[in-house]
Amino acid sequence: MQLEHSFVVPADPDTTWALLTDLKTVGGCFPGATVTEADAETFAGNVKVKLGPIAVTYEGTGRFVERDDEAHRAVIDGTGKGLRGLGNAGAQVTMQLVPDGPGTRVDVLTELNITGKPAQFGRGVMQSVSDKLLGQFVGCVENKLAAGDGTP
Amino acid sequence: MSISTEGVAEVVEERADVDRTDESSGPEVGKARRRKEDQRLITGRTRWTDNLQLPGMLHVATVRSPYAHATITGMDTTAATSSPGVVAVLTGQDVKDSQGSLPCAWPITEDQKAPPHPAIAVDRVAFSGEVVAVVVARTAAAARDGAELVDVDYDELPAALDLRESAADTTLAHPDLGTNRSAHWVFDSAEAGTGEDVEAAIAQAREDGVLIEREYRQQRLIPSFMEPRSVVVDPTGEQFTMWSATQVPHILRLMLALTLDVPESKVRVIAPDVGGGFGGKLQVTPEEVITFLAARHTGKPCKWTETRSESLLSAHHGRDQWQKLTLAATKDGTVTGLKVELLADMGAYLGLVTPGVPILGAFMFNAIYKFPAYRFECTNVFTNKTWTDAYRGAGRPEATFAIERLMDELAAELGRDPLEVREQNWIRHEEFPFTSVCGLEYDSGNYEAATARAKELFGYDELRAEQARRRESNDRVQLGLGVSTFTEMCGLAPSRVLGSLSYGAGGWEHASVRMLPSGKVEVITGSSAHGQGHETAWSQIVADQLGVPFEDVEVLHGDTQISHKGLDTYGSRSLVVGGQAVVKAAQKVIEKARPLAAHVLEANMDDLEFSSGTFTVKGAGEGQEGVSITELALKTFAAHDLPDGMEPSLDADATFDPVNFSFPHGTHLCAMEVDTETGESRMRSYVAVDDIGNVVNPLIVEGQVHGGLVQGIAQALWEEAVYDEQGTLVSGSFVDYTLPTTADTISFVTDRTVSPSTSNDLGAKGVGEAGCIASTPAVVNAIVDALRPLGIHDVTMPCTPERVWRTIQDSGSGGGATLPDAQPHFDEGAPNQDQPADAGQEGGQA
Repeated sequence: MQLEHSFVVPADPDTTWALLTDLKTVGGCFPGATVTEADAETFAGNVKVKLGPIAVTYEGTGRFVERDDEAHRAVIDGTGKGLRGLGNAGAQVTMQLVPDGPGTRVDVLTELNITGKPAQFGRGVMQSVSDKLLGQFVGCVENKLAAGDGTP
Repeated sequence: MSISTEGVAEVVEERADVDRTDESSGPEVGKARRRKEDQRLITGRTRWTDNLQLPGMLHVATVRSPYAHATITGMDTTAATSSPGVVAVLTGQDVKDSQGSLPCAWPITEDQKAPPHPAIAVDRVAFSGEVVAVVVARTAAAARDGAELVDVDYDELPAALDLRESAADTTLAHPDLGTNRSAHWVFDSAEAGTGEDVEAAIAQAREDGVLIEREYRQQRLIPSFMEPRSVVVDPTGEQFTMWSATQVPHILRLMLALTLDVPESKVRVIAPDVGGGFGGKLQVTPEEVITFLAARHTGKPCKWTETRSESLLSAHHGRDQWQKLTLAATKDGTVTGLKVELLADMGAYLGLVTPGVPILGAFMFNAIYKFPAYRFECTNVFTNKTWTDAYRGAGRPEATFAIERLMDELAAELGRDPLEVREQNWIRHEEFPFTSVCGLEYDSGNYEAATARAKELFGYDELRAEQARRRESNDRVQLGLGVSTFTEMCGLAPSRVLGSLSYGAGGWEHASVRMLPSGKVEVITGSSAHGQGHETAWSQIVADQLGVPFEDVEVLHGDTQISHKGLDTYGSRSLVVGGQAVVKAAQKVIEKARPLAAHVLEANMDDLEFSSGTFTVKGAGEGQEGVSITELALKTFAAHDLPDGMEPSLDADATFDPVNFSFPHGTHLCAMEVDTETGESRMRSYVAVDDIGNVVNPLIVEGQVHGGLVQGIAQALWEEAVYDEQGTLVSGSFVDYTLPTTADTISFVTDRTVSPSTSNDLGAKGVGEAGCIASTPAVVNAIVDALRPLGIHDVTMPCTPERVWRTIQDSGSGGGATLPDAQPHFDEGAPNQDQPADAGQEGGQA
């Protein structure tokens, strides 16, 4: 399934880009996520999500399959294995930054594949859960930008 | 319009005889007895399988594949094995040499293709929900905890999900088979010599008649029985004893023996009280085999009980067909031929009767009509979804939907009343028995009478007038009237017919009557009930036959050690086949008692008559003492003074093989109000006039009709098993699989006409599936009828408000587009999410 999100942050595209591609830092902003290892290309970690009646922890890895620092566009591939037999998840995230007045608009398109119980029970709430998680994520990113964490 | 009312008076009048509620006197058959089993069933203080507790019993939990299609590349059971309370972990590798292959009893063609069907997948899974391992533990909770610790590695394979694409082999559900097409089966009336050539009829209609071409989708449904499946196996003693929430204890026993290579005599199967089945428990399940293997492996009693979500995911599903239909007619509305091309989704494997389900429908597309040319062909297709099998009606609801929708389409094309067009084509009551274009002999019926009664109860002409007013005033809420004049073949089945269809068993049924010395009577039936009220109905039958009180009859069933022979309950067969076996056994008891009665009364056997439970000498007049059958039973028990050579027993067995199916029919009329702005539809009224022959218990019949109606209406309006593009069942709980409750339905108006069946002594026809077969097309016909002025002539099931709304939008007569936020959460491209109305509208009219 496809999830589409857009948000605007009060920082210029270069600053935003630097923060969003610093996976170790930005990973901590995603609710329930821990990035255990990260280099410029790949990362590993886990994320705990509650989808309706199902709480699932995915352990997995991700990598940039496309990263254009000039055009501020990146494609990230991630795969995770659900603990306790709860099926796997795969996501391809396409992120595009666009100047938006004094700030930056970030368009995120997620192609999400999940299997097993989280899909059986959680599919109906997927969009609303992801909207909520993204809201928290954006809040965290804004804080980091305000605190200057994102400055190279 | 007018429907002939000839013959109506007598059938309606006859009905008055059978609706007696007075329980104190007169024949038992026909009384609206309250069901004697209900007290224990409704309170739950009974023997549901999951209520069983055996000493030292272990519990089984399953690990199921989250993938629709994948190879199993590794399995780590270490953590599960060492989890607290876990006794054993069994994987496919562990049991691959002992689990056999689950049985399919109905190979419809000699070259039918089928993959092996393991209870536990060994190295590849073919649907999401397939068992890959089981954990056996001291408690159910420990077993579930252990199951979560089994670590399975999968390598995902492309999954065959869309039925039509799978039929074209775009992706293979089982690569080793080389094709998804399991079998191709054809019936052609010209080839069979039962009718004419349909292609000629179509060519003729194309030239100077009317041709109706449509494609209809029978969506995938889930039987949703109330009691989840549950199995207990006790390996203690000489036999393995299995309790299972099954419809088919006898078939299960035989199939377990064949599958697991255990002597049949070493297996005892008990179906205790079973809480519903609807065909969903007409199966030999992986979990029954697994629980057996677990008990044998551990040497301890083992229990498995499914959760509801497990049930929706892995108990077999039903329906799931694409129907391509061509109806040929003359310009004056006489149907001349019908061609049916079916694709039927088997799912990932073949179950007990999976391939035969569409074949059960093959002989019913012609329904109550007399047209001379018919061709049916069906391709059975594998996909990577849960396997399908029988679901209430099994093949016949699909067939009835198709023909009843087509008859409405024909009427619309001709601008005529749909009942009038039907009457022009149906078999008139004086033409029975009638041999159909499929070669079946319809025993009895009176479509005119049922239709006339239904019209009267419905207020058909008044509702048509209201419909016209609403159309004229362009009312936002339009009224639609839907018709379904259905018939079905039930009472499965004459063994010879089953043999000619390559079915792996016969269709007879067995019964015993045991006369106890105290005057009580035990009746043993091979038709094991799962909630239908056999104990009450069989008691009524035997009370009349033997002249004993209703309360003195005890009906035993479902235990292969007590009921040693039987072919169980499905296909509306219990009363017309099993009930008739009971009648035969009771008649044998009377004949066995006759020599003893003659001996006691010192009379000639030929001079005796048996009435109301007592033998008397003919013409002996008032005051003459007779001897009752219960007194004779006591005399055989004592055996002190029997005629020479008489065995000291009145007990008797009978096995009955029907010579024909029975063909219940009825006229159902449905009025739906459809809001053309929101797409919401509301049922205004529903009238069902059924002809099921003679009735043993009107209260039970009412229950069957009402329940069947709701189940059929649910297919029309609400239920659908939906898979996402990964092959995950996303309608996997009752939040998303929208099973109706009484709150979603209205009060139905039901009535009956009576054309007794000629194929059994009771004159009864089956009723278990009738409501479910009839109601689906009645509802959809009503919705389409409401929308017809908008140029709409199909809505894909289930006709949810969204589907109806979209159909209206696509017809160009709706409002503006809806914002994405208001759209449903399911992806448009997902398989099974059929786009509304495309097929039907493209089908076009001649």
